[in-house]
Amino acid sequence: MALRGAYERYLNRFGWWCVAPSVLFFSIFYAYPILSSLYYVTRRWKGATNTFIGLGNFIRMARDNVFLEAVGHNFIFMIIQVPIMVFLALLLAVLLNQGIKSFRGGLRLAIFLPSVTSLVVVSVLFRVLLQTNGFLNNVMLGGHFIASPIGWLSDAFWAKVTIILALTWRWTGYNMVFFLVGLQSLDPQIFEAAEVDGASKVRQFFTITVPLLVPIILFSAVTSTSGTMQLIEEPNILTFQGGPSNATMTAALYIYRQAFFINFDFGYATSMSYVVVIISGILAAIQLRLLGGERATR
Amino acid sequence: MKRGLFIALALVLFLALVPGVFAQKVTVWCWDPNFNVYAMKQAADVYNKTHPNVQIDIVDMAQDIEAKVSAGLQAGGAGLPDIALFQDFRIEQFLHDYPDAFVDLKAAGVDYSKFAAYKVGPMQVGSKIYGIPFDTGSTGLWLRTDYLKAAGLNPDSYAGKNLKWSDVVKFGVTVKAKTGKPLLAWQSDNFDMLRIVVQSTGGQFFKPDGSLNLRSDAFKKSISLFKDLNDKGLLYSVVGWSDWINAINSDQSAGFLNAIWMVGTVKSRPQNAGKYMIIPTPLIEGVSGAANASNNGGSSWYVFSSSSNKAAAVDFLKSVWATSTPDTLAFYNTILKGAGAMGTFLPSQSGSNYTARDEFFYKSQPVFKDFATWMAKVPVLKYTPNYVPMRTAVANAVQNYFQGKLSSVDDTIAAAEAEYKQVMGE
Repeated sequence: MALRGAYERYLNRFGWWCVAPSVLFFSIFYAYPILSSLYYVTRRWKGATNTFIGLGNFIRMARDNVFLEAVGHNFIFMIIQVPIMVFLALLLAVLLNQGIKSFRGGLRLAIFLPSVTSLVVVSVLFRVLLQTNGFLNNVMLGGHFIASPIGWLSDAFWAKVTIILALTWRWTGYNMVFFLVGLQSLDPQIFEAAEVDGASKVRQFFTITVPLLVPIILFSAVTSTSGTMQLIEEPNILTFQGGPSNATMTAALYIYRQAFFINFDFGYATSMSYVVVIISGILAAIQLRLLGGERATR
Repeated sequence: MKRGLFIALALVLFLALVPGVFAQKVTVWCWDPNFNVYAMKQAADVYNKTHPNVQIDIVDMAQDIEAKVSAGLQAGGAGLPDIALFQDFRIEQFLHDYPDAFVDLKAAGVDYSKFAAYKVGPMQVGSKIYGIPFDTGSTGLWLRTDYLKAAGLNPDSYAGKNLKWSDVVKFGVTVKAKTGKPLLAWQSDNFDMLRIVVQSTGGQFFKPDGSLNLRSDAFKKSISLFKDLNDKGLLYSVVGWSDWINAINSDQSAGFLNAIWMVGTVKSRPQNAGKYMIIPTPLIEGVSGAANASNNGGSSWYVFSSSSNKAAAVDFLKSVWATSTPDTLAFYNTILKGAGAMGTFLPSQSGSNYTARDEFFYKSQPVFKDFATWMAKVPVLKYTPNYVPMRTAVANAVQNYFQGKLSSVDDTIAAAEAEYKQVMGE
């Protein structure tokens, strides 16, 4: 008995030594910043000086229309873009898996490639393409789809459309790959049985494929939602720091600008970050409840 | 044998390090390889003639230099270089929020009377002056003489004239009517053109106590001017830098209002040869202190207090950029020709490139001489530490005004003030 105890203790110690480097990195780069951010949250920062203001940052946030609008924009992008993208990714995955026989590899690559390209490069290129005098407008004018150039970057409504299009273009392929993997795991016999019973392809899609892929849809939805809450690069570069006139300002971009450009107010920026994290957490919990709950009851 | 080899190796390594120990290194952060990096390199060459032991390391930092610097300053100076380039409109914010971060160069003996006054304004806090002024953004009204002629106007009647904006609007309307081209390309998301006009009036955006001064006559007149230009169809709206360059170099407008540094862009398109004429920045009437000169852009060099090689850095900047010797004057002359970089060191303006005629422009206008003359008249604008949120708020409000979402100048000013208050948390 005693010998086993000693061996157990040895194994425990050995285990801790193995985990120690990870725990160390986690503490330094994860836990410490989070804990020290609690210090920032209660202070008003201005460059080299800071003063204690208690919950002042949160009160300021509640009255800050720019921040509230920014969060609103995050929600708009999320509510419109995530469902469109997930559905599109699912559709493409099904088409590539079952529908299209030739050039499958090439098409998969082409659709997936946007998600691994440099965000900055893509944003700069899109900026040039979407100019008032740019490629897209000229093509659409030439094909008589529109009568006058669309202000993709200068009009408040169209700028939001631009962001949604850019996000969809970028991430559809990424999510499509997950769905492709999921589709591989489905038993083809189910589909054959449905075929025999006379179900059309569309019917099969909605009644068999989608329900069986719910775990992956859930994963896509949760990660896309939290990604959209953290959206910063596209509004920063593509629409010029949340333009036009803050029409595409997002929470993360506003946090960045408050911290480094507008005020050097790290206290306020940290407070806003907390709020964004809490919102993301709530949204993830809601989604898990809605979509993940079904699995548990089956 | 092995031992002997080891000793020999150690000796060689030691000897290799010795000159390294005595060479001093000064690191410089800046952006734009064809402009700032190039100019700094020329300066380094001049300095190395008399100080061969100082190694000047120029790092091209691109877009996020200011974010990196503020992160470094927050960390108490960690990771910062010895010298960095700052845009003039941002430095006041840094000087105000990080008061001990920079070295007082006036105390180090730099003679600021030799620099253009409007450049020294933003870098002065009390009796201390912190930077070495670099390039000027002296502005002018750039006009396409071919479109003027097509509209039946004689370009020579405007050459070198100090016009008022009302005159410009008049001939702008003629050009639009006869050629269909708007007179000015205009960056709708950008505050710069509005600021050029406000600065030309000698107006300030902030009162001395730091509060907003948007209800001033100068500012109201400036907004009204642009609304008028917009309503008469004299503005070609673009969004962003590449759209702006594209519009100008694909003949979408008959001209633009901007700074000397557009020379490179204009010259990069051969079809522009012989067509561009630059006249003094027009005047807003009825505002005392208004001038036919303004500025857009420009940066200056600053030395960090956290630098380990302060003395060398300060000596380098002082002896090459702020002192008149045949070598330094030749340096300023070279960078003007080489990169279109016009420094603001007044003794350098007698250099040959400053007065030379440039055949690329209409009637071989000596453009640099003109910009240099106008530079001396530019009114001082104090940007203040809160310039960035103010300009965003104003740019947003003006954009909304032009798109019809706000109905009057007073509403626009109110909207700008409201947004500014929100962002500043007041």
